[in-house]
Amino acid sequence: MAIKFQRVPSAQPSVAFAARALAIVLALGVAGLVLAARGNAPVELAWEVLSSTFGSSFGLEDVGLLVTPLILTGLSVWVALRIGAWNIGAEGQFYAGAFSATAVALFIPGPTWLILPVMFTAGALGGLLWILVPTLARAYADVSELITTLLLNFVATLMVYYVATGPWLDPSGHALATTARLPHDVPEFWGIVHYGFPLAILLTFVIAGLLNYTRWGYEVRIAGSNPSAALYAGMPFRRRLIVILLMSGAIAGIAGMLEVAGTVHRLQGGISNNFGYLGIMVAVLARGSSLGVLAGAALMGVILNSGIILQTQGITVSAVLAITGLILFFTAIGNELAHYRITRTEPAAS
Amino acid sequence: MRAEGKALSGMNDFVPVHHASSEHRYGGMEVPSTSPGRYEPGSGAPPLVLLKGISKYFPGVVANQDVDLDVMPGEIHALLGENGAGKSTLMNILTGIYQPDAGEIVVDGYAKRFASPVDAISAGIGMVHQHFKLVTAFTVAENIHLGWSETPKRIGSSVLEARTAALAEKLNLAVRPSARVADLSTGEQQRVEILRVLARNARVLILDEPTAVLTPAEARELFKALKQFVSRGNAVVFISHKLDEVLEISDRITVLRGGRKVATEKTADCGEKMLARLMVGREIVLSNLRARQPGAAGISAEPVLSLKSVVARDDVGGILLDEVSLDIHAGEIVGIAGVAGNGQKELTQAVTGLRLIHSGQILLGGKDVTTAGAVDYAKFGVGHIPEDRLHSGLAPALSITDNAIIREYATAPVSKGFVFRPRLAAALARTIAEAASVAVPDFGMPMRNLSGGNQQRLVARREMRIASKVLIAAYPSRGLDVGAINTMMHYLVELRDAGVGVLFISEELEELFNLSDRIAVMFHGKIMGAVETASTDIEEIGLMMGGQMRSSAGAQAAAGKH
Repeated sequence: MAIKFQRVPSAQPSVAFAARALAIVLALGVAGLVLAARGNAPVELAWEVLSSTFGSSFGLEDVGLLVTPLILTGLSVWVALRIGAWNIGAEGQFYAGAFSATAVALFIPGPTWLILPVMFTAGALGGLLWILVPTLARAYADVSELITTLLLNFVATLMVYYVATGPWLDPSGHALATTARLPHDVPEFWGIVHYGFPLAILLTFVIAGLLNYTRWGYEVRIAGSNPSAALYAGMPFRRRLIVILLMSGAIAGIAGMLEVAGTVHRLQGGISNNFGYLGIMVAVLARGSSLGVLAGAALMGVILNSGIILQTQGITVSAVLAITGLILFFTAIGNELAHYRITRTEPAAS
Repeated sequence: MRAEGKALSGMNDFVPVHHASSEHRYGGMEVPSTSPGRYEPGSGAPPLVLLKGISKYFPGVVANQDVDLDVMPGEIHALLGENGAGKSTLMNILTGIYQPDAGEIVVDGYAKRFASPVDAISAGIGMVHQHFKLVTAFTVAENIHLGWSETPKRIGSSVLEARTAALAEKLNLAVRPSARVADLSTGEQQRVEILRVLARNARVLILDEPTAVLTPAEARELFKALKQFVSRGNAVVFISHKLDEVLEISDRITVLRGGRKVATEKTADCGEKMLARLMVGREIVLSNLRARQPGAAGISAEPVLSLKSVVARDDVGGILLDEVSLDIHAGEIVGIAGVAGNGQKELTQAVTGLRLIHSGQILLGGKDVTTAGAVDYAKFGVGHIPEDRLHSGLAPALSITDNAIIREYATAPVSKGFVFRPRLAAALARTIAEAASVAVPDFGMPMRNLSGGNQQRLVARREMRIASKVLIAAYPSRGLDVGAINTMMHYLVELRDAGVGVLFISEELEELFNLSDRIAVMFHGKIMGAVETASTDIEEIGLMMGGQMRSSAGAQAAAGKH
């Protein structure tokens, strides 16, 4: 009897799901082994992490705060992928959104009920403007958006460092590297979790609805899967590409606005916390599914929060990055293996 | 690449070598090269290749079951079967790409196991695939010597070319050693492929649909070369769908169906109908469909689609369509003959709104549509079965539903205003699949999971729904088996009888003659002439395909007959 592996063109959804669940478990297992080798007790650490995350509303609130930007940056990358584009620049657009919203809050006086919506709009516009040039370059000159969006991340990161340590530095002199506390807060929704959380979930459903229940969404689907087929049917591929990419930038910008106005309340260097890059991971984990964005963001939120807890146990924050890397790595392997079927064949009697 | 360049730069130490080749094995035989005689193996000579009880299983599929095949020295053995009959699997087993789950491969009386194509070629079995595996930026000589153990380590281009010329002469395959492959015609490229295999001392040459890309004249050249090759005691396995050429060239025919061998017969004892029946397991008549049934729409007086001096250019100004003028009437099928790449693709793009023409005019039902886009053409009632369905007509990774509705997604019932209704989309997809008689277990599964024949049927039915005036069908039978081709042809007839004008582009002259009311021939972007099918013959069309204008082609064909 021989065992053979046979590749099938498309994996069954149940197999694909199982493969990814297994990948996550394996990645955590490997991380546990490494911690054990280092002299930590992984089981106790895991218990510590689980009980302080899920054992109290405080833990869940912390996760909720982390999940909010992850949903949005994940959604940003995911939406660009619908038309086959890789927005690696959610990080930069996040910064641009936070920057624009801060500018509004610091320099336009007015009541919160008026300024907050203006900040929101400014955040979205900031993200949109940050992806505008890569979008046009891709649409009209076929310049890879992957490179251009990535490079602009560094520009945005440094720009925010500059203003937060220079021209917009807190004049009170208490802080070294942040702006003053913003006068307007996104109101809280549950504990310390602000209204950005339900808003992010709502936005995910709105976008999923647009893609699944409009002619426009159908055209995006075809164009993303095979641009030649879109041209064949006379669909305006370029227009759809432009709108999707601008949308992607705006969503990441909103994430930045909510982070600064809801969670941190000051603009500071490093405010993005790598949320833009982690969004790529959320989108990859989610694959085709919009609900997957929520699930992926939740998973990443729990992992990030675990990292904070682990830090209190003397484990560096880099360990958490390593764990997320492991998850992505095992997921990629799992996705590939889900394409294989194992068959047993009896050698024919000769 | 670097190693290659180095190998090409040094050239001084080349010594002309006489390689071991078929020559030494059959050295005693004198065969006049001009008229290849039949090679008669001595009685009791072992077959060159013997496959015994070959079986190959894929999950859920029996690709081959208990297949026997013997290839004798000196014969051209045709392997015939529908798509999915197991021809490719069998040949992939013989060339070491797959390993059989059961059965034996015997070469020259010795049982062999091929772990890879390298093993197969060293045992003298080589294959020329349908899609050539040449490096187009390299010269012919470089391609011949690429990845060949007998290529000297340090060698320059002139020596490579000399070696290639010597090989070409010995094997009687005319190639230009210094030409870049990219500059060669398809027929020449194929000769390079064959030379490449033969240079490695192949004694069994497997050809996968070799004539699909050739003009009739080039095909005749190929046949001549194959006959010479087997006259030296070698063998050819010839895979094909085309019954007429199989009957013309082969000595024996093996027919596969559903992974099993149905029959091996001497070609002399076979006829087209019998082979078609063996292939599909039932009677198939690919016959003249030009006659109208009573009640069918007649040919309209006014053309429904009219091209007037249409010129199309590529990005750098090269001529793609050269003053093309053509009328298609309602209720008429106009065939376009010609070797692929002579402007057929650009012609279909021009009349479906996918390419802006440089000058000239296109009229649809008398209305000027020269500058209209793809959506407009679809709206005006022009359907389009594209040349390469997987690349341009479908999104293979998306669901069958998404693919089926690509022409009607923007209109009721699927869409109402901006709102897209997935359930009604699925209902439309079901309707189209039923009309195409394609059994779809799950409309959410990706299109690429369907077989080529089913994909094409769905595309055809989808386009027929919108083709109220004209259908542009580009190579609708390409890659399909006899049964599916038959279905396609009847689809076109169904449209014609409903009063639709059909532009039917094909490389298969037999199809064109069976179906078209008129045949136009394209060569280098020009229409060489449009003739009534009833008043022409394959010879005349063939000459026009080779670049002769109508009048002279007609005269020459007529002269040839007397």
